[in-house]
Amino acid sequence: MSMIERVLYWIAIVVLIIGIIGLKGQISELEKKAQTAQTQVMEGGEEK
Amino acid sequence: MNPKIERVIYLGLIVVLAGLLVSFGKKEVELQKQIPLTAQELYQKLANPNVNLQIIDVRPYEPEDEDYEDEYLYYTDIHLPGAIPLPNCDESQAPEEALEQINPYIPTVIVSKDGDPEIFKKCAQKFKIAQNLAGGVVAWDEAGLPTEDGEYEPPKIGGGGGCL
Repeated sequence: MSMIERVLYWIAIVVLIIGIIGLKGQISELEKKAQTAQTQVMEGGEEK
Repeated sequence: MNPKIERVIYLGLIVVLAGLLVSFGKKEVELQKQIPLTAQELYQKLANPNVNLQIIDVRPYEPEDEDYEDEYLYYTDIHLPGAIPLPNCDESQAPEEALEQINPYIPTVIVSKDGDPEIFKKCAQKFKIAQNLAGGVVAWDEAGLPTEDGEYEPPKIGGGGGCL
């Protein structure tokens, strides 16, 4: 296995890890928003 | 280390990471469905020519009799610019020219009278990426954002420009 091939594999792995970390951050932010939206919907339903 | 084994290890790692990325992507889409858009957020998205989305209006299309007082009840009375009518999310109730414009694969905003989560849930299944408009047409109008009335007019070919 050549050095270039090894470096390319590592680049792919690092890019995927960065993508996963980015998505994970977005997901936790969205989870918070979804929680807030859910609470608002439930409060709205109780008011009705 | 044997180069073949090393290659298999790298490829296995890449496949696992790619699988994780795809499953996180799916989860993100699912979560986005649960978060309603505010009228201002939707307006900002529509004002951006790089954002491609369709607005689906699920209210009844037009009144059957003239005796009603709620101005937000029917599509023909008031609707968001460019909104496509799909009453009750039922294709059989939609005008024919509107059906031709509906694309289930592009990001979609579902508009009801007041952002009813029940009708949104029913309708969201028909689209790959769907979000509810919080407060519906009532919130949009109360925010002083542009509206239209009358029958649905499909976009003209080569008309260009956004709907706002």
